[in-house]
Amino acid sequence: MLQWSDRSPQHWREFVNHEVCVTVQDQQRFEGRVFTVDPVSASVVLVSVQENERPSVRVILGHAVTDVQILRRGTEETERQMKSVFLPDQTQILSA
Amino acid sequence: SPRFIALCPTTVSTSSSGSVDEEEQRLRSELRERFLRTLLLMTDKQVQFDMFEKVRVRATFGASDIDVLNFQVSDLETPLGVQKEALLRCHDMISCSFEL
Repeated sequence: MLQWSDRSPQHWREFVNHEVCVTVQDQQRFEGRVFTVDPVSASVVLVSVQENERPSVRVILGHAVTDVQILRRGTEETERQMKSVFLPDQTQILSA
Repeated sequence: SPRFIALCPTTVSTSSSGSVDEEEQRLRSELRERFLRTLLLMTDKQVQFDMFEKVRVRATFGASDIDVLNFQVSDLETPLGVQKEALLRCHDMISCSFEL
């Protein structure tokens, strides 16, 4: 069984925009929507947007991740919402 | 940096044919750009760091090195007082979180 940090970018990409539950080494669990997985450190960036609360962002270091399960699939709308958090309107697009 | 060059082969040598390489490289750059934007957003914010052994500290995030081995932070709140400037080793860390 491959460790999370040894997985391919294709594998990591499959989790982007979906709501997941990430299990870490000491059995702690974190839930949220995946914004990205860093291809260098395999760190998972989760975003949680609760009503009437400010969005919170959690970075889980790749070496600590033992399992990631998809809970709910995201939609184009959730992708757009998440992008608006990280990429303000004036952000210059640097890659195609 | 020499360290980054040394680390590169272990992260990009997973596929063999050219078109697969290109597709993989595109995915990597897309994922990496998003991660760098996350770090930019985290800069100068109060961040909570969850370390191993249930240690939880707060500090203002400054920067990370390219291979995400160390975070530079300011005003690190420790049980012994506030450390003005510090480096946190990412290997001692489980996660970190902040609000927007």
